[in-house]
This record gives sequence, C-alpha cells and structure tokens, in this order.
Amino acid sequence: MAESVIGKRIPKVDSREKVTGQAMYAGDYRMPGMYYGKVVRCWEYASAKVKKLDFTEALKMPGVVKILGPDDVTKKPYNTTVMKLLVPEIFGEVFGEIADLNIFNKIVKHQGDAICGVIARTEEAAERAADKIKVTYEPLPVLMTCEESKAEGAKKNGYLFTPLKPGNKAFDLPASFFPNQRYGWNDKDGKTAMELFDKCDYVIEDTYYVPKQKQCQMENHSYVAHYDERGRLNIWTSTQMAKPVQVLIAELFELPLTRVRLVQTIVGGGFGVRLGMIGEPHCCAMAMAVPGHPVRMEFLREEDWVASETRYPGHIWFKCGFKKDGSPIALDSMYMARKGGYYTHGSGPPFCFAAFIHGMYKWQAMGCQTEGYFTNEVPTGAYRGYGNPQLAFSGEQMITRMCKELGLDELEWRKKWHKGIGDETWLKGVTFASDGLNDCLDVAAKESGWYEKKKKYAKQTGVKRRGLGVSVMQHTSGAFPMLLEHSVCTAKLNEDCTVELMQQISDLGTGGHTAITQMAAETLGFPMEDIHLRSGDSDMCGFDIGAHASRTVYCAGPATIEACESVKKQLLERAAQLLEANVKDLQMKDKIISVKGNPQKSISAIKIAKEGVYNYIDAATGKTIGIPGQIQGYSSFFAKHCSPPFGACISEVEVDTETGEIKVLKLVNAHDIGKAIHPPSVEGQLEGGAQQGLGFVLTEEYAYDKMGRVLNNDFTDYKMLGPSDMPDAKIILIESAPDPIGPMGAKSCGESALMGPIGSVANAIFDAIGIQFKEAPITPEKVLKAIKEQGLQK
Amino acid sequence: MASSRILPEFELLIPQSIKEAVDLLGKLKNKASVMAGGTDVVISCTKGFGSPNVISLAEIPALDYVEYDSKSGLRIGAMATLQQVADNADVQKRYPALWKSAAINGTPQTRNMGTVVGNIMRASPSGDCICAILAIGGKVVLRGSKGKREVSIDDFYIKYRETACKSDELAVEIKIPAPAAGSCNAFARMTRTTLDLSKVNVAVRLDMSGKTVKEARVAIGAVAPTTIRLKKVEALLKGKQITDDVLQKIVETVPTEIKPIDDVRSTAEYRRDVAGIMVKRIILEALGK
Repeated sequence: MAESVIGKRIPKVDSREKVTGQAMYAGDYRMPGMYYGKVVRCWEYASAKVKKLDFTEALKMPGVVKILGPDDVTKKPYNTTVMKLLVPEIFGEVFGEIADLNIFNKIVKHQGDAICGVIARTEEAAERAADKIKVTYEPLPVLMTCEESKAEGAKKNGYLFTPLKPGNKAFDLPASFFPNQRYGWNDKDGKTAMELFDKCDYVIEDTYYVPKQKQCQMENHSYVAHYDERGRLNIWTSTQMAKPVQVLIAELFELPLTRVRLVQTIVGGGFGVRLGMIGEPHCCAMAMAVPGHPVRMEFLREEDWVASETRYPGHIWFKCGFKKDGSPIALDSMYMARKGGYYTHGSGPPFCFAAFIHGMYKWQAMGCQTEGYFTNEVPTGAYRGYGNPQLAFSGEQMITRMCKELGLDELEWRKKWHKGIGDETWLKGVTFASDGLNDCLDVAAKESGWYEKKKKYAKQTGVKRRGLGVSVMQHTSGAFPMLLEHSVCTAKLNEDCTVELMQQISDLGTGGHTAITQMAAETLGFPMEDIHLRSGDSDMCGFDIGAHASRTVYCAGPATIEACESVKKQLLERAAQLLEANVKDLQMKDKIISVKGNPQKSISAIKIAKEGVYNYIDAATGKTIGIPGQIQGYSSFFAKHCSPPFGACISEVEVDTETGEIKVLKLVNAHDIGKAIHPPSVEGQLEGGAQQGLGFVLTEEYAYDKMGRVLNNDFTDYKMLGPSDMPDAKIILIESAPDPIGPMGAKSCGESALMGPIGSVANAIFDAIGIQFKEAPITPEKVLKAIKEQGLQK
Repeated sequence: MASSRILPEFELLIPQSIKEAVDLLGKLKNKASVMAGGTDVVISCTKGFGSPNVISLAEIPALDYVEYDSKSGLRIGAMATLQQVADNADVQKRYPALWKSAAINGTPQTRNMGTVVGNIMRASPSGDCICAILAIGGKVVLRGSKGKREVSIDDFYIKYRETACKSDELAVEIKIPAPAAGSCNAFARMTRTTLDLSKVNVAVRLDMSGKTVKEARVAIGAVAPTTIRLKKVEALLKGKQITDDVLQKIVETVPTEIKPIDDVRSTAEYRRDVAGIMVKRIILEALGK
C-alpha cells in the first residue's frame, strides 16, 4: 500500500493550469468558421409587451449573418432547472412545476428578458447590429412586491405572469402533501405548533427581511454551440450540471441524446448560478440556425445581473414558544418570497428554508409555511445555501434574543437543544448518523475567547463597542432521498497499470477533481500521478447529477471508490489464478501482488495489466501469455443518505456608534466535516463561503428603481467584500465525528460556510449595541438610524 | 439603453504638444473630451456618454511630473498618475491629505493609469483628490488659445460636473502652495467596502499658531452637487483653540451646510448624520490627536 493520500495537503490537480492561465474556459475557445451571437435584451422596461420588432437597419450592418426573433426559434416553453429530472413526474405536478420560459420573448417579465438574437461574423459586428434593432414596447404594470403582485393577480382582468399560475402565486406548499400547508411535525399528542403557544412561558414573534443577493461568480457566462455536419448539436458550457443540461437541451430541441454532445468546460465559479441552463438555449438556437458554424456567445457582467438567477429575497415571520428554562416548545413560521419573473426553482429554496428549520432544534412541534409571488425582478434560483442563509439570519437571531431575554447562555442552549444522532434531519424519516456540533462549539468558543471576552465586553463604554455572536447550522450532503442522487464512474486500467477515470465530476473550483482522484488513488493503493480523471464530455461520461446540494465528494465519491474496488478485485482475481492462490490470501503493495506471509510468491500488477491488453500467443506453446482482457471497473451509484454536516461560527465585531460602521474583527468557523479528504479545499470552501455570508449580512443587495430596473448591475455599485475587507478568519475542521455512511467518513462542506458568518455577525452586532436588526444587509445607515431612534441598548 | 463592451466609434486625436492639443480643443469645442489615463473617459464611452472626439494627452512630452520646492510648492503635471503622487516623498511628508486621497483612489490598476489632474477635471462631487486639494488650497493651471491662466481651486467648481475650465482650455497642471510652518492637513473618506467611491469624504487644513487655529480650510464631498468648503465651520475654528465645545458646535453645524441626496451608496439622512462626526474626527487627526 502506497502512503495514504487522504487528508493530505497535496496540490490540487488543476491548480497549475489555472494559475498559469492555460486552463481553457468556454470564452477561450476559437474554432474555424466561428460566428458570434448577441442576445438583444430589454433594458428599458421590467414589464412590457413587444409591439414591434424592426430588424431593417440591423440587417444592413456589415458582418451580420442572421437575426432571430421569437418566431424563428422553437416556441417550446422550458424551465432553466433540472428539477424535473430529479423527482418523479407526479411529485413535480403536486409541487406545481411549470415551464414558463421562452428563448425569445414577446412579453417582457423582467429587465433583461431576451427579445431576439443577432448572429454575425465578429463579436463587434454582432454588438453593433444589435444596437440597430428597433423594439417598440407597450409598458405593462410593474409589480415589485408580493403584495402588489397578489393584488394585481386577484383583479378580474389583472396582469398575470402566466396563465398557469392564477393570482400570480408562483408556489406554496400543497395541502395534499403538507397538513396546514406546513412542513414540520406535531407533538406527541398530535398538537400542532400553533396549538402549543398557550402552554409556553415565553413567546417571541418577529418578522425578518432577507436580501436579493447575486452569486458574482468570476467567469461570465460563455458558450460555444455548433450544429455540425453530422447533425449533432455540440455545446461547450461551464454549467454545473452537465448531464442533466444535456438532457434539457435534447428535450428543448427535440433531439435524441446521441445527437447532443455537451462539453463542460472549466467552471469559473458556480455558487448555484449555473445550476441548470442560463444562456444555453439561446446559443444553441442560434447555432442551429447556421449549421456548420460554431456560434460563440458571451454574457457581459451587466447581462448576468439581469438575465440569470439570484437568491430568493423576502419576508420571514417567526413565532416561537419556550419554557422559562429555555426548553423549546413550538415554532411556527412563514417565508414569503419574491419569485421574480419566472418560475425556475419554484418552491425549492423556500421549502429548503423550512427543511433546515426541521433539522436544527428539538421543538415539541414545528411548522413552516412558504409562499411566493411573481414579481418583475430577475428570477430567483439557486445560490449556495439554498434557503439556509435566510434561516441563519432570522432563526439564529431569534434564538439569541430568546436566550438574552431569559438570561440563558446562548452557546450552552445550542449545545443542549440541537438535534443529533437518531433525530430527524431536514428530511422527515431520515435520521442523523453523526454529530460533531458540540465539538465545533467548544473549539470555536476556545479559539474566539468566547467566555472571557463576553465578560470583558459586558462593561464597555465609549464610541466603539465590541460584541461576540454565535451561530450554528446543519446542511446536507446531496439531496437524497428527496432528490435523485446518481453518479456513474468507469475506471479503465491502462496497459501500464495507470488508471483513467471517466466520470462527470463538476469542479466549480471546489477541489472536487482533486478529492475524487485522491479517493481513487487510496482505493487502489496507487500514487496520485497514476490516476487521471477525464471529465466533462458527455460523449465519454456516464450519468451524473452534477454539482448541487454539496454532493460531489459524498455522492460521486462512492461511485469512484466502487469502480476502483472493482479494478482492484479483478487484478487480485487474475493474480490468484496465476499464482494458484486464493484471492483472500493476497495483498497488493506498490503494484506487487503477493501472498500474505509469503512475499516470494508474487506477481506484478503491471504485468497483469499489460498482458490483459497485449495478450500474445506464445509460439512455443501455442497458448496465450497472461490472462486476456483490458480491466475496467464500473459503478452506477445511488446515494444512501444525506449525512448532514453541522457547523458553528463565532464572530467578533466592533460597532462605531457614531457612524454605524461595523468592522468584523475575527471570525472562527468550525465545521463538522467528518473526514476532510483534501483539507486545503475544505478550508478554501469555508473561507470563500465566509466572504459570501459576510456580503449577505453586511453589504449585498439588488437596488431597483421604480420602473423595475437594476441600479447596481456592476461591481462599482453592488458591493461584495474584497480581500482587504475580509476579517481574520480562522477555519477549523472538526473530524471527531466521522460519518458512518459518507465515503471515508466524509460529509459535505460546499455550501455550509455561508450560514455561520451571517448568523454570528448579526448576533455579534446585537451583543455589541443591544439592538437586533431584522433586515439584511445590516448597513451603517440602518445601524446609525436604529441607534438614533432607540439609543444604545447596552 | 444597451449593453456592450464594444466602444462606440470616435476619433482618437493624439496631439504631440500642448499647443496642438489646445488648437484641437479650440476647433472641436464641446465635441471633444480630454483623456489622460482613460480610467473615466473610456468607461463613459462604453456607457454611451462618450464624445465624438477623444484627445489623448499620452504623447505630449513631460507632463508626468510631480515636483516640489519650498518656494513654489507642489506642481503636478496633467499626466502624473495617482500612484506617482502617492509614491512621492514630498507629498507624503507635507500633504498627507493629498497623499491619502491618491493612495486610496480606485484600485492599484487604476491608480497606475488614472491621474490626479484627471480626478480634478472629472469634477465628480465624490472625487477624493478634489476634496483634499480644496482643503489644502491650490490653483488649476489652464492653457487656452489666449494663453495661460490660473484658477483658484476655490473658484473652480461651478455646479454639478461643471468647472471653470472652458471648452477650448486644457488643464496642464495643479499648483499647491508649500505649507507654512504650523500648517497641517488630513483627509478621510467613508465607503461601503475598501474598493469603492466615497459616500462622504472630508479634508482639512489647519494653520496653527501654538494651540490656536489661525486659518482653517474644511472641504467635504459627496454631500452636494460639488465638493464644497464648510465656511461656517471654518469660521468656528478661526482664532480658537480646539476644545470639546468647539468640536461639538462643529458637529452640529456641518449638517446645516450640506445638501446630500439618496443614492445607491448611501442616504441623505445618513450623510447628514455622519458628516459632522467625520469633520470632527479629521480635525483631530490633522492635529495628530
């Protein structure tokens, strides 16, 4: 056995090509005969009807090949998401899944809706021609809040986003599936949360607001599509979900899968924005209009802002009841989300919001209702955390306030009342198999100086006030059993006894490719450099869901392990035959297979691999030399569980009480990883997540004018934290609770890192000045206004 | 409205001398914009606010100077970049307000291209170098067909994005007097994140005689259509020692002198609430307190 590579701080397999600029992103591809596509979008209105579309002047522009309007492309409606592939059809119907998008539109439902597409010989020609297209609009009512949308939808001839959704209600939890339209549970006597509030000593009720946040991935959306001479539609894209998107494209353009080839290019950041289709339908439609010519299409940053998806904003209402000693009795809640112009992920993130309440604390009864209305905003979809960041901001602040008012230690309360082994996770009927949360809390408390500093800061005076806040979370590793989690791996043994893995692994920069390669090397006992992961091309790879729900290591890793175990088993079986020994008596080390306790009786695995391929006939004997057949391992793996990881985060902030400015001084995030396959990648995930979580709680939100147009569609006016804004972040990986189901003990880390910073910073601000903020982001403007109105509460 | 990264077509004119540039301006009048580093002009073009003609100063020799002597003070040529100014030892020592306004301006990339004179000429109400120079005092040197003239920075800003520079004039230099003994200056700004435009910026110059303020110049940006001087605050300071009472009066007076608005970066209310505090703090900072 070679030295184990699991848990080692080795370089990522793809880091050199990325830092030297050799990695090919979709936008880097140039092909012979390539054309350029430009989508013409509606920038003037958020809600309008296209009255007239005039291409006359644009067609006269040099270099223009074709201009496609709504009637020149398929009118088959579609949905960007792959959700329909992940659940049985009947389930989708119950939840109200619809397809309401068109490639080019005659009705504008949000700023940035696509109107038509220009194909030209150069990018410049396409842009100049796009500028000459004349679109005449008739403005329609602009609905920017759930209330406006609901009221308009209730009118007899009110404006409806889609006839498929009466009253403009995009989704709710169906009563046929959810009693009282709530996800949750009743107490042991069958009483709902609502029926238990009377029994509580202390009831807290509050409404929170969570912002519309953009993923802000580094790579702009870029595509190349080519409808080739064999009638195959090829698409190069950095989608997160390569195989499901191949299926969606095949369905949209009514082609068999043999005629759709999807190549996943290197992904320059995903965070959920590429969870499904974005510009793929437009690029493919343009390519199909010019067979034989690849068409390259790239979004500008401002297009990403208005024509891809965002986090779900909205209002969250909580009512919670406790006993005097803090025992949690009942929780009732409602998440009213603004959907944006199209259905896309529908009830997904709001349902998951409810689900993450379900998985966190031991209430006697809990219920959560979710609803959403269409608005004339950029559609909402997947963004790292998928409902959980919204809970971190609201739920974790509520627990902290309760603890403060009842005089309880908020850290101890969380240790005592969080769910653990044997309790139901976020999904009904699925129980926790491991729980490292108390260790996370203890380590974070120690590292942050929680108890000492809490005491010290209790007696502060002066302009600048410091505070500490804690927040915990539980997430998921893949979405089984709610959603399909299927991954296929083929491990081909080369004739020199190295291994080629063929597996569709989406690495969004997460280190997924590295971890998968490590798991293969570990299983086989081969060095890392003898494993090569081939990924990305649908012509080569079997099925895989792609990157969502923090699933890659947890759901795809086992497929890799199974396929490699199969390779190893076949090698040992051949060795047993050649050595005239039993398989169970054999061992393999450094590619030498020998009989345990008798190292002289051995054979080289390299020889077996070589003779399997070059299986010559011995002229002297007339028999074959070695055992024929190239060895391949294969696995079609379905996840068995979702092993939720826990996490605890403590933040220390300083609030300037004269200006309202907030400085995050330190952040300690301890994560219950089970087993870190590649620790630097796990730490990278947790650091990157902190940047997005801090953005959610401190700076990031879409700003719209009254017409529904985005006022901050660039990095000048939409503010993420930059490197110099980041606090000292201490990331701690807790491996004291390896998961009995996860591969090699691993649980997920992809999305987990956002939640802790959100809840803990909000709670630290509360600790510093005694005022709790119900609206995210918590800006200096809000802080100063609150201090002015309420005075320092501490 | 459109979205494009393709620059609209314009004539790029590259004069080889100041005279040639001035002649071009005289000929083209309002139909030309002057480009030094291009960090603002090019962005304006892609956003559809460009001119049909762009006059680049790139090939005019010897405009990229930052020079100081104790008699004539500091001279900054039209092509001196923000980074050059930030790196200059005299600026660092004698004009900490200007140094800071250049050193925090934009990003390392834009500081290497953008110029201090460009920042002055853009006349943005939130321009950081404008705020610093308005407090320190100085003159903008303009060259036109009728020769050279110097306009005090106090008279330079007329209204929103409009300066005393005529359409046929070229700003070639900023002159800033050498600080007298006992004079100190400082600049600060407030932003959402480190790389950002100012929500509010403030700068002061205090000419001290012992503990007494002989003269004060206080400038504030992003709270009115142009960067402004706070005359009432200056009057409160003049001839006084800086006591808590004086500072408290200043905090209360500042909001009466400004007219901020709501925008994506902040609110009018917030700007009013913090402007006084920022002025108080920058006075203390200038005095090394």
